[in-house]
Amino acid sequence: MSGVSKTSVLVEEGGNQFRKRSHLSSNNDQCSKRTKFDDMSANEKKSNFSMLNPNSNGTIKMTSSSMNKPGAATKKLVIKNFKSKPNLPENYQETTWSKLREAVIAIQTSKAIAYSLEELYQAVENMCSHKMASQLYVNLTNLVEAHVKSNIEQFLSESMDRQVFLKRMDDCWRAHCRQMIMIRSIFLYLDRTYVLQNPSIHSIWDMGLDLFRHHIAMNTLIQTRTVDGLLLLIERERGGDAVDISLLKSLLRMLSDLQIYQDAFEHKFLQATERLYAAEGQRLMRELAVPQYLAHVEKRLREENERLLHYLDPCTKWQLIHTIERQLLSEHLTGILSKGLESLMDGPRLHDLTTLYNLFSRVKELGLNELCNHFNAYIKKKGRTIVIEPERDKTMVAELLEFKEQLDNVVSTCFQRNDRFLYSMREAFEYFINQRQNKPAELIAKFVDLKLRAGNKEATEEELERLLDKIMVLFRFIHGKDVFEAFYKKDLAKRLLVGKSASVDAEKSMLSKLKQECGGGFTCKLEGMFKDMELSKDINITYKQHLAASQEGVGLELSVYILTMGFWPTYPPVEVRLPAELTRHQDHFAKFYLAKHSGRKLQWQATLGHCVLRAHFSQGNKELQVSLFQALVLLLFNDGDNLSFEEIKTATNIEEGELRRTLQSLACGKARVLLKAPRGRDVQDDDHFSFHADFTNKLFRIKINQIQMKETSEEQKATEERVFQDRQYQIDAAIVRVMKMRKALSHNLLISELYNQLKFPVKPADLKKRIESLIDRDYMERDKDNPNQYNYVA
Amino acid sequence: MSGEDCESFDRGDADGQKPDKMFTLKKWNAVAMWSWDVECDTCAICRVQVMDACLRCQGESKKDSYGKQDCVVVWGECNHSFHFCCMSLWVKQNNRCPLCQQEWSIQRMGK
Repeated sequence: MSGVSKTSVLVEEGGNQFRKRSHLSSNNDQCSKRTKFDDMSANEKKSNFSMLNPNSNGTIKMTSSSMNKPGAATKKLVIKNFKSKPNLPENYQETTWSKLREAVIAIQTSKAIAYSLEELYQAVENMCSHKMASQLYVNLTNLVEAHVKSNIEQFLSESMDRQVFLKRMDDCWRAHCRQMIMIRSIFLYLDRTYVLQNPSIHSIWDMGLDLFRHHIAMNTLIQTRTVDGLLLLIERERGGDAVDISLLKSLLRMLSDLQIYQDAFEHKFLQATERLYAAEGQRLMRELAVPQYLAHVEKRLREENERLLHYLDPCTKWQLIHTIERQLLSEHLTGILSKGLESLMDGPRLHDLTTLYNLFSRVKELGLNELCNHFNAYIKKKGRTIVIEPERDKTMVAELLEFKEQLDNVVSTCFQRNDRFLYSMREAFEYFINQRQNKPAELIAKFVDLKLRAGNKEATEEELERLLDKIMVLFRFIHGKDVFEAFYKKDLAKRLLVGKSASVDAEKSMLSKLKQECGGGFTCKLEGMFKDMELSKDINITYKQHLAASQEGVGLELSVYILTMGFWPTYPPVEVRLPAELTRHQDHFAKFYLAKHSGRKLQWQATLGHCVLRAHFSQGNKELQVSLFQALVLLLFNDGDNLSFEEIKTATNIEEGELRRTLQSLACGKARVLLKAPRGRDVQDDDHFSFHADFTNKLFRIKINQIQMKETSEEQKATEERVFQDRQYQIDAAIVRVMKMRKALSHNLLISELYNQLKFPVKPADLKKRIESLIDRDYMERDKDNPNQYNYVA
Repeated sequence: MSGEDCESFDRGDADGQKPDKMFTLKKWNAVAMWSWDVECDTCAICRVQVMDACLRCQGESKKDSYGKQDCVVVWGECNHSFHFCCMSLWVKQNNRCPLCQQEWSIQRMGK
């Protein structure tokens, strides 16, 4: 009732006024009566009611006489205070508190509460209203503290099963929470007023926590026991045992609520985790194969994430996962890779590789770095074995294509197309493919030839196109592109001249790919070859018209491919003796051509000529498709049979080795239009040959293949030789370029500059030779004082 | 090189009169290389082989990827030969053959 102010009101008024007010005063009377009643009945309960109703501020007393007798002398309305303040009962505080205390103790001991909760709540409210809040708070605190203290005993006994201990701890904590909630509900008014107004005071709940923490949780023995018990439980769960997860969760929540989770538990927990997984990592790395190990790590991570979900505090997440990653992965990165990457890649076990990548990408930069390095090393090692052994030359390109495809597949499905891996793969390919000089370039060129050659029916246009694209990828890695060009050109020439090209479209598409890759300079000669073929076609048409007009050269159909010297590979000039008729035709054409193109000269390439011969055998006529050399030999038999090797040689003037092969193809091959005496596979100097009149063959048109086995290895050498010749010019040019820029340079500096400039591999000895040659030709000179210094000569 | 169409025709005269020759040449696909009919392979002005385009044209051909057909050879009365492009620039400065110092006059052009 602290807020009630009692004032007395004295009213003195005139009659007139009084009369006016009589109605009002009777109202007031009623009003005062009610107020009085209210005041009396609710002087404990509704102490503030009077504040709400200003009319009840005072009691208005009116003498009845003055009412009844308006003319009376005293017209006074007097309002007086209560005679005495409404006092609280003498020992109100003690009794109320004892009531509350009783209730709290009942709650703490899980007994029925003797009073209604509303009654208790009001008791608290009233005590607060009567400025007893602080005392009430202190009393309550003491009470709770006493109870909490009384709980300690049960945890201190010497030996106790951990499980039982944890259980008891959990029960105690749950009971504490339950009790504190109940107590708080009763003392809610205290919480809302007194505690709120005093920031330094804990709320009742916090006070409970604080006491629990202070007396139980912070007790060293209890805390150690609890935490150890929890760790043991978790360890058992990690070991695969089923444990009471709700108990774990509840106790860990307790630690969080008591705000000692981090200090008391987390640190130890992480240490235990670290110890466990360190040991496990060591052990399993030894015992398990890599795929199983990876699967295990994945499983562990999943489990720990579930653990986080189920009972661990989320704030542990980062450190926990990090610890596992460190112990199971980071520590073993190199071990895992060197032990398992190769077999995974060889598979390729895409699923395991995906796992590997995902796990390794967890270990930030380092993991993928390691993986990438090993990936790179793997490619280099594997690629080198493909490239380096001459026995595997036949399948090298196919293997490389397959290898590349497999790696592409791995990078795109398992490594998420990570740029770093793509780049590393490219670098590795470039490295290993150039481990062996020239050969890969040569084989790639030959592989392309095989695919572009007619009769290759294994692929449709689209497939061929795709294949060419893949080959271009390999081609890109090759340093010695000139080697490729030389071999490609040689094969292209063959395809064009023998008309063996599968499709002009495919040829053109390959050409445009090369052009895109290496620029117009690289392909301009190849393009020139195609152009020559077209021009030749035109020339032959006009020549035919020319013949028709002049009515010459009937009987022999002559067509000539006119090739531009320089565009085509160089063929060694061969002089052979042609029959008079052929010479006449040849001269006739030359005259015709040179008349059209002045200033040119023609060099006939006997080695590349082809003929169709009509042959008359006793069993019928045949048409033979033969090379010019074969035709020359056969034509000899028109004038005489049974010719010796020597005779044929003088008559045709074909080079001996070439002639031997030619005769072999005619007399020892599949279609034997000549007979050789004595019989045998090889052609000897004293062998004789005769026309095989009884030759039969089910085909009308027969192609007699030339034997080329030995030639190819010679050809190959020649092609390589030419490449090296060309390289000499490039080296010369590079030397002159460098010297022109620097004017004077020491030998070593010049060499290192050259290595930077030249795109193909060179030996220092070759460079030295070129330098000497340039000194001889006065492009540069040795310094007079310092023999290691060169000067540019303008 | 193919000529399937003549098969039936050829078979027709197989049993005719006995041929005096066992082999007759029906078709000849010859191959010839052409080059400029020059005494010296390199152009004395640009030091490039006359069969290749001159330096100037090589540089330009990289841009429009044109063959070297345009870069022909020219012979003087002295029978010395050069790229036509090179020579036409040369004669603007000095109307003499760079090799023999004779008055330059064109004997013929490559075509």
